[in-house]
Amino acid sequence: MKAVLFLFALVCTLWQCVHAQIPSEQEQHVTSFFNSHGGSTSRHTNNWAVLVCSSRYWFNYRHMANALGMYRTVKRLGIPDSNIILMLADDTACNSRNKFPGCVYASAARDLDLYGDNIEVDYRGYEVTVENFIRVLTGRMDPSVPRSKRLLTDDRSNVFVYMTGHGGNEFLKFQDNEEISAFDIADAFEQMWQKKRYNEIFFMIDTCQANTMYSKFYSPNILATGSSELDENSYSHENDRDLGISVIDRFTHHILRFMEGVNKTSQATMQDLFNVYDYEKFMSHAGVRSDLFRRPLDQTYITDFFGGVSQAEVMSPPLSLSPSSNEGSEPENVPESELPVELDQSLDFTSWISSDTNATVRSADEVYGYDGILHELNSRAHAPKQGENMQSVRAWVSTGLLVALVGWVGSNTT
Amino acid sequence: MDFGLVYPALVAGRLLLAFAPLPDALKHDHQLSSPLTSYPRLQEGVYLFQHGIDPYSGGLFRHSPLLLSLFSTALPLNKFTSACLWTACDAISAWALVKIWRARQRVSQSSRDSLIAAIYLLNPYLLLPTLALSTSTIENMLFLLSLMFASQGQSSPSLLALALLVQLSLPSAIFIVPMILLLLSDPVSRLASPREFNTYLSSILAKLGTFLGFSFALTSLSVLVCGNWTWVEQTWGAAVMLPDLTPNPGLWWYFFTEMFDHFRPFFLMVFSAHLLIYVLPVCLKFQHDILYATYILAGVYATFKPYPTLSDPGLFISLISLFPETYQYLRYPIVTTLLHLHSALLLPLFHHLWLSQGTGNANFFYASTLVFGVSNGAALLDAIWAGLRIAVGNLPEGYELIQK
Repeated sequence: MKAVLFLFALVCTLWQCVHAQIPSEQEQHVTSFFNSHGGSTSRHTNNWAVLVCSSRYWFNYRHMANALGMYRTVKRLGIPDSNIILMLADDTACNSRNKFPGCVYASAARDLDLYGDNIEVDYRGYEVTVENFIRVLTGRMDPSVPRSKRLLTDDRSNVFVYMTGHGGNEFLKFQDNEEISAFDIADAFEQMWQKKRYNEIFFMIDTCQANTMYSKFYSPNILATGSSELDENSYSHENDRDLGISVIDRFTHHILRFMEGVNKTSQATMQDLFNVYDYEKFMSHAGVRSDLFRRPLDQTYITDFFGGVSQAEVMSPPLSLSPSSNEGSEPENVPESELPVELDQSLDFTSWISSDTNATVRSADEVYGYDGILHELNSRAHAPKQGENMQSVRAWVSTGLLVALVGWVGSNTT
Repeated sequence: MDFGLVYPALVAGRLLLAFAPLPDALKHDHQLSSPLTSYPRLQEGVYLFQHGIDPYSGGLFRHSPLLLSLFSTALPLNKFTSACLWTACDAISAWALVKIWRARQRVSQSSRDSLIAAIYLLNPYLLLPTLALSTSTIENMLFLLSLMFASQGQSSPSLLALALLVQLSLPSAIFIVPMILLLLSDPVSRLASPREFNTYLSSILAKLGTFLGFSFALTSLSVLVCGNWTWVEQTWGAAVMLPDLTPNPGLWWYFFTEMFDHFRPFFLMVFSAHLLIYVLPVCLKFQHDILYATYILAGVYATFKPYPTLSDPGLFISLISLFPETYQYLRYPIVTTLLHLHSALLLPLFHHLWLSQGTGNANFFYASTLVFGVSNGAALLDAIWAGLRIAVGNLPEGYELIQK
């Protein structure tokens, strides 16, 4: 047992050394996988979305509709509910003032019910707090928090963070009793970067003086956009005469209008989205911050952030990783050295590294001395037979004694 | 009917039935075998033993190590040998019962022999567990052999058989006292004329010493087979600690499924003590006819045992054939019979409804075990009443029998 553990540790350290020697070629291999077939240059493998509506009460209906509209878009474009954290106060659809109970509309024409059925709100009501939002981003939660409330991202996740509500100069109001500042969000993103919890973040915010909220970011790979500059308000788009309040904000409305034309296979880029921005329509100067973002915006697809589109490459099966034909041979005739065939090949790391590096990595057999493990395993297989012999000897002896006892008693009486 | 013809015919019929293609489900039926007597578990234990794995390390195998050694060496367990062996056990039991009857009547043969053999061999409560290859058949055989040797006054074989029985099933230790007393008296029927039991304490202690000697020898044989003492906790410990709550027709399991853990030791003690408290009073009350006391204790054993199966009340019912003098004094034999019929129909029905069909729940089966317990209890009470009533005899005109 100890020999097996030691050899396993040896395997790990040697693998680390091997790994450290050839970072660039391996990186090349991986990058070329992601770049093949002319896909987007993003290196993400999964998409997540954090949609936050930080206001409550009936008169902030439009913020709820903002967040739900984004939720619908993001779901439509392929991000599953398990990858969406939706934080809403959720007090509009069933509000006693709602003339259309159970419905939330984003337009006065009431053509699409955003609430409907099949929405999954992860944080509702009083759970939408600054603390929970920061905990979601950083991932530092009590072990009892369920998976659906966690942001389980890794270093290849693209995260879309959307926030809406009432804001001001470098702050956002959360549910009428607390605020989150731009520094808090910047620090949370830096924690995420340090913990490798994102590949790229797209931060969108629709509040008054929104652009101030992304002014403090300092972590790499963040693209940010906001609806209005410092000392500017963001305006609502239209009122519903029957409901009596505004149902959507201008910024979000035009973004959603643009998104209507985007589907999963769309090649529309972020630059196309930002080209929609127009002071005449928004009545405010919407801004974009791309200095932290290393890719050009005209090569970054919308679906990199809004959709759950994944890259797939069809490869011919690698020759040495396929199950060998040895599996079909009879077990009795296989010589000792060939026994753990599958084990051998599962640790054969040479197959997916490019062939140039074969010189530096020898086959698993030679380096890790599998013969030693084999001998130990085989010797352990022989030991139980001795135990069996002992057992049967014991059983025969005791049966014999029992019969003798019965015979002795029988003979003594008759 | 000539015993010499009937008996072989019955045994042959049983043998044919044992070889008939029976559904395998019979072996797994909860009414016919318990975790302590189940045949598939025996097979599993023998298999593990033969492959060098300690069968007592898991909670599956609860048979005695003596059975383990016997079936892994001298008697292989396969369909042919098991059928023959279990039929042979039943045949020996029936023959022992006939011998007990003959000893009680002090005859070498009688006209009732074939009836007694038929009552044992055709009893469905005993037939079905034998077909299910439950080791309770072996236990019944050992009990009847012990009783037979005790009726014939042969103490060593009787106590050896009893020691073997206690090895297989710990609750049968309640038979130690009546068996020793039977050895010191005789099985002749004295129900009608009660008298004091005269013996010396030294002779009781001598017999007890013999029994303990045999038990010690068998325990050491068991330890020899296993190589350690883990078997004690798994076999005898199971009867005391009730680790396995598989449903059976007994009164213990449902109680203990519903129990809070901190009450468990107390109720285990209560239930075990309940089994033990009957020994002395019954032996004292029936000291003039110890065989009848053994019969009553067999009924107590059947009703209050930790892991009973149908073969335990079956033994009790078959033993009733030894005491025809009590029949006229039984107060409600029809009620008891109907209760038994009722529970015999309900038990498999509710078991199926609960576990196979899923439309019932455990309460259904529990209710049927309660009815079964009531039927056993009714039979027991009636037997006690009849046994005591004989002593009063015929009542003269105008007199009534009352209980004060």
